[in-house]
Amino acid sequence: MITANETQSWLDSHGKLSLPGSELTWLSSQRSAALEHFESVGLPGVRDEDWRYTNLRALKSNDYQLTSQSSLSIELAPTDNPRLVFVDGLLDKKASTGISDNITRLQDSFSQVENEFGSTLPKNQHGFTALNTAYAQDGYVLNLDAGQVLDRVLEIVFVSQSADTVSHTRNLIIAGANSQCTIVERHIGADGIVYLSNIVTEIIAGDNAHVDHYKIQQESNDAFHMGGVFINQAKSSNVKNHNIALSGLVTRNDIATNLLGQGAHMEMNGLVVGQGRQHIDNHTEVNHAVPNCTSDEYYKTVLDDHSRSVFRGRIIVAEDAQLTNADQQNNNLLLSANAEADCKPQLEIYADDVKCSHGATVGQLDPVSLFYLKSRGINEASANALLTFAFANEVIERINVESVRQELTHLIAGELLSGLEELV
Amino acid sequence: MLKVTNLHASVDGKAILNGINLEVKPGEVHAIMGPNGSGKSTLSNVISGRDGYEVTEGSIEYLGKDLLELEAEERACEGIFLAFQYPVEIPGVSNMAMLKAAMNSIRKYHEQEEIKAGEFLKLIREKADLVEMKQEFLKRSVNEGFSGGEKKRNEILQMAMLEPKLALLDETDSGLDIDALKIVSNGVNALRSPERSMVLVTHYQRLLDYIVPDYVHVLANGKIVKSGDKSLALELEAKGYSWIEGLSEAS
Repeated sequence: MITANETQSWLDSHGKLSLPGSELTWLSSQRSAALEHFESVGLPGVRDEDWRYTNLRALKSNDYQLTSQSSLSIELAPTDNPRLVFVDGLLDKKASTGISDNITRLQDSFSQVENEFGSTLPKNQHGFTALNTAYAQDGYVLNLDAGQVLDRVLEIVFVSQSADTVSHTRNLIIAGANSQCTIVERHIGADGIVYLSNIVTEIIAGDNAHVDHYKIQQESNDAFHMGGVFINQAKSSNVKNHNIALSGLVTRNDIATNLLGQGAHMEMNGLVVGQGRQHIDNHTEVNHAVPNCTSDEYYKTVLDDHSRSVFRGRIIVAEDAQLTNADQQNNNLLLSANAEADCKPQLEIYADDVKCSHGATVGQLDPVSLFYLKSRGINEASANALLTFAFANEVIERINVESVRQELTHLIAGELLSGLEELV
Repeated sequence: MLKVTNLHASVDGKAILNGINLEVKPGEVHAIMGPNGSGKSTLSNVISGRDGYEVTEGSIEYLGKDLLELEAEERACEGIFLAFQYPVEIPGVSNMAMLKAAMNSIRKYHEQEEIKAGEFLKLIREKADLVEMKQEFLKRSVNEGFSGGEKKRNEILQMAMLEPKLALLDETDSGLDIDALKIVSNGVNALRSPERSMVLVTHYQRLLDYIVPDYVHVLANGKIVKSGDKSLALELEAKGYSWIEGLSEAS
């Protein structure tokens, strides 16, 4: 029974959920430990320092039903890549292609992920992460053997199409030594419906594994998205996380990596585009636990209308993590006087022979640049779009999947650069 | 083509132009010289429609239209081009992308079809050769990390691509070494034509050795105090701007 500090009646129905994998004792004990943790912390509130700027009143004032299996009601653009489609948090087999020994759904794979499931999660996790562990029913599992190279992009589409539902999705990317993969997660929702997507992706990168992970969030404008990406990196592994938040009413992402083996490299790229009354909160954490690791974090935020963003970037360099090289940049562009960006770099350095740098800016479009473009015949709206694109492009350029890069170019620059995506 | 009549303009309430009269006919090249603070750059900014300049009196007629009624981008679409004294860096947008966006905006304004990618590439390569700009610069972000000379060459490249009817070159020679000055001047000279007029704003006579003007005007305290042919520039060079100060006070 949940006795959280916030009475959330919708959580009552969770107790009746019959969860896959319940015969596994390790899983049951993780689930009950998570529930116990949830009971002690409850859902976050603005009293929590880590949630100061993110008010969940709207989220808490709604009731959510647990989702049940339904089939995809929208049409997705065709693709040549393997693609798993989850509808309201559960795999839609018919809509999916490319399921194999390595690419499976969590429901079928609990018994194979005992060592990895939950291994990346922070101890001081918040209530949503705990709920996710306690109630995760499905998700994708990518399990790459040593040396295996996924030569195609693995596409995962999470579609939310049922109103007033909650889904707890858990994904695992287990990349064996020397393996390579690119995963593009896309989160979309039917417009005009309220739902809560509580989703966690765990990435376990083995020695020298290369993982390029994209998360493109295009939820419904009334949706709540509570996301976590938690990563453990072994020596010489190279993980890139691209966090692209384009929609949703309230979005929170916790992205944290543990650099556990020497020579590991983490790249965190973020692009936030806020409109209307959207609220996007990204909490990142890079934990340099051992010497000789590098991390490179680059977050850009574009806010229009009344939108708000929060960026917390924490870098922890442990006492013996000498020769760490960590860089963090967070640049915010405000297109409206009513938009607000809160930014909190947080560096905790306990080693003495390290190079750590960080920078944060908040600004508007440069009027001289605007005039420059107008003096070349480009009208005000297009000049604004081009300069906004220029701002965002420094993150877009870091995207290695061409189709994603083109999509974002078009989204931000509009028709202005159509056909020119390769020239910009 | 361009007729400036009794133009008064101010910035932040401070009067900078105090009654400019200037007429530029098709194909003519006019040089406007003057000491710092005389209003040279203000004149080109007002003609190109930059924000922050208030016209308090007078008029500018361009191709029979009231220019002051047009937005900056409309003026550009109507064929006015300003080569900036300090070209702006735009990291994140390549030269090519900006130029194609600009060309297509101008074409759209004239209800013409967009330029085809192949045609555009052919054209930009040809024009880049004109200002001796290496192809790799075209793919680089607009002016980002360019030297002073490269920025000015890039301005002339843009001018060559956009084919204006009236080009305003604001201190295009400033910050150029002699080699860069020759390249820029050759580019500008190649763009001279009976239909295209140019107004060169410059502090030094040096530029006019390379781009020979039809007329030279000397600006002081927001007014044209003397006009003449190219020999006026040489006279000015010999006598110095203090000579002009005297003229200005006398007027």
